[in-house]
Amino acid sequence: MNENPPSDVHPAPGPTAGQRIVCPNCGEDAEPGDLFCEGCGQDLPDGITPVPADSSKRPGGLSHPAAALPTTPVDLESLSPVCRTCRGTTFQDGYCENCGSPAVKIRDHWEERPAAWVAAVSDRGVRHHRNEDGMAVSARPEPGSRAILVVCDGVSSSFDSDIASLGAARAAREVLDRPRPDVASVAGRISAWNERLALAGDEANKQAVEAGRHPSGRPGERQDSPPSCTFAAAVVDNGVIVVGWVGDSRIYWIPDFGEPEQMSRDDSWATEQILAGVPREEAENGPRAHAITRWLGPDSPDTVPTRDSRVPDRPGWLLVCSDGLWNYCSPASDLATLVRGLANEAQGDPSHLASRLIDWANAQGGMDNITVALARIAPIPPQRGNGITSDETTTPTQATSSGLNGVLDSAPTGPGNPHA
Amino acid sequence: MPSFSAEVFQNEFISEGATDVHAIVSVTCAGAGEAGRGEGGEAAEIIIVDTSGSMLDAKIIAARQAAAVAVDQILDGTWFAVISGTHVATRAFPYPNARVSMVQMEPGARAAAKDAISRLEADGGTAMGSWLKLAGQLFDTVPQATQRHAILLTDGQNQSEQPYQFQAAIESVTGRFQCDCRGVGADWDVAELRHVSTALLGTVDLIANPAAMAADFESLMQKAMGRGVAEATLRVWAPQGSHLLWVRQVSPSVEDLTSRKVEVNPLTSAFPTGAWGDESRDYHVAVRVPPQPVGQERLAARVQLLVQDSVVSQGLVKARWSGDDALTTRIDPAVAHYTGQAELAVVIQEGLAAKAAGDEATATTKLGRAVALAAETGNDEATSKLRKVVDIDDPATGTVRLKRSVDKLDEMALDTASTKTTRVNKR
Repeated sequence: MNENPPSDVHPAPGPTAGQRIVCPNCGEDAEPGDLFCEGCGQDLPDGITPVPADSSKRPGGLSHPAAALPTTPVDLESLSPVCRTCRGTTFQDGYCENCGSPAVKIRDHWEERPAAWVAAVSDRGVRHHRNEDGMAVSARPEPGSRAILVVCDGVSSSFDSDIASLGAARAAREVLDRPRPDVASVAGRISAWNERLALAGDEANKQAVEAGRHPSGRPGERQDSPPSCTFAAAVVDNGVIVVGWVGDSRIYWIPDFGEPEQMSRDDSWATEQILAGVPREEAENGPRAHAITRWLGPDSPDTVPTRDSRVPDRPGWLLVCSDGLWNYCSPASDLATLVRGLANEAQGDPSHLASRLIDWANAQGGMDNITVALARIAPIPPQRGNGITSDETTTPTQATSSGLNGVLDSAPTGPGNPHA
Repeated sequence: MPSFSAEVFQNEFISEGATDVHAIVSVTCAGAGEAGRGEGGEAAEIIIVDTSGSMLDAKIIAARQAAAVAVDQILDGTWFAVISGTHVATRAFPYPNARVSMVQMEPGARAAAKDAISRLEADGGTAMGSWLKLAGQLFDTVPQATQRHAILLTDGQNQSEQPYQFQAAIESVTGRFQCDCRGVGADWDVAELRHVSTALLGTVDLIANPAAMAADFESLMQKAMGRGVAEATLRVWAPQGSHLLWVRQVSPSVEDLTSRKVEVNPLTSAFPTGAWGDESRDYHVAVRVPPQPVGQERLAARVQLLVQDSVVSQGLVKARWSGDDALTTRIDPAVAHYTGQAELAVVIQEGLAAKAAGDEATATTKLGRAVALAAETGNDEATSKLRKVVDIDDPATGTVRLKRSVDKLDEMALDTASTKTTRVNKR
């Protein structure tokens, strides 16, 4: 019973025999299959995460999970101690001792894994010399309870867009990590998150604007246009998913079975074409396919994220990604086939799945930076849910309210972005 | 203290799908000091003189003089011996009845050795394998001498032992000492002696006129005494999944080192390079690496020189895949130059072998190619030696005719000089 693997390397959901599990509220030991905690009476959701023995008794360690939301403590600009190509760990003269690949910055391939059910990986790709994607994620330990996934894709024709994208993603996470108003109803929470996403988009935009005010002046930096990036954020809140976006980074909901969907709708020239009746294949491969019509940054006319929400009725994957991934599998059905297949190989572990998706995109050519953020959603059954009525969970799909409709209807489209 | 430096010449840009990376690594040693006086241990020298029956008259007189001159060049304190070689090997000095196999040079020993050398007489056959084996045994008596070098002089072919015996003898002494080989007159076999010198990290040359022997021995021994670094190893790392195609010394002479490879670990190979004086040596390293997408970079090889197990210098060979033809199609001038010089050595040797076998068509083609390569790479010495073997109609296209009567010595001079390269004009 004391041979527990550390939680951060264990394939996530579902305790198995022999694993030690604890109550996420009070840290009391629990048994697989327990419906509630014997110590505090807290409901125990399915798929509770095993934890290492030495952390379970840490006073307050798990009783205030919100205070322990992780950020990335390392300097992303420093060189990675692990080879991006072969995972080797010894370097000489700036090259991997095993495969000869140059040592790269941590930013070229890094991962955030705030909880066993949430992970994100960002990778430079094959063709680009720098990773201009930014990302920031956070999560509470209990699966499905609370997660924040933010991906920002720096526009490569603008200067310092890598600084803008990372600053924007982290600023948005910081806003979204603040305690939300205590509302029980689904509609109330969606409404609260809609407001919070607007604020997050605003704070993210400030970072991009700030990057434009203080150019880094790094050698070789392009000077064509001020820093710009996309914005795609998803919030998981006990059975509710609320999303917001600006630009063409995407949010997909991929249930384990049934119809997958792209929750975001690109602010891009290609999408405008598709809406106008041009076939997707043709529009996404046209000369201006990658021109975005909305973005964050000093020269952006409109930075308010478009928002949407869902109450999923079955287990699945919430996926936020940059176009480095979806370029190779744009339709939700194609991506779902890929994700479901790779999820099996990854044994349901979001970290492994994210890495496999990155590897897959690189194998397709890796023409752009690739960022994938994933949350494993296993909905809380109605009778044990936190403030989700049976009504709401049995009528899944779009949880729109009148206020939300207003936002969706006014989804603004700016002028064609000069940044291709 | 000796100091080493390494410089790499290559075009690191290769095209999409390309796998082969070529580089010239130029290693220079300065401040080598004198043999046996550095940190590497003491030095030992053996002079091996052919005293077979064919070494009559002028040849044995010249050989005695040359050996005596060489003895003069050996630094005091150096362990040394003289071997008289016929169908058997005899220690001429220290005298066969002496209790020690090698002595340290000092004025008394020098005078005694010269006296012994003056008594050398020509009589008997030629069994070079036995000479080399005796040299190995003598060197073994002075384990404190880590820098071991011999000069072997002969005038004939190895007729008194079977080829397998000769081969076994060469293999038994490989790695135990270095040996420079010299052939006097026109009756010895260049390929046979080159086989010895290549295995024993030495040189081979022709002394056409016995009168030139003394000067040659003097300079050989001076060079040997100027090698203050007893032993250096070339070490080459190449990444996982790659294949080291070859490591070839290309200057001052062409020597393929690939057969001397010793595996250090699955990714690293070591090649012995013998003793170093103040000099530069260039190496052509060719690696086949797994192809990578355009835009990727890999370290294709790390080339290091090691002295007493420490790295004294290194050069990095890189590969960068590019879609820009302007970058990828340029061949590095040093790589091009030495590729041509290495081919020059091969076509000269093959051309002369074909000529000796009576295959005039192949000989004409090969030597014609040699003429073109020598012209292309500016190897004037090779060109002038080729002129004595073929009539050149057009050096650019390598159009030549075999001369009807050729002095055997001119052919041998061309053969022995074939591996000597001219340095490239580096940027």
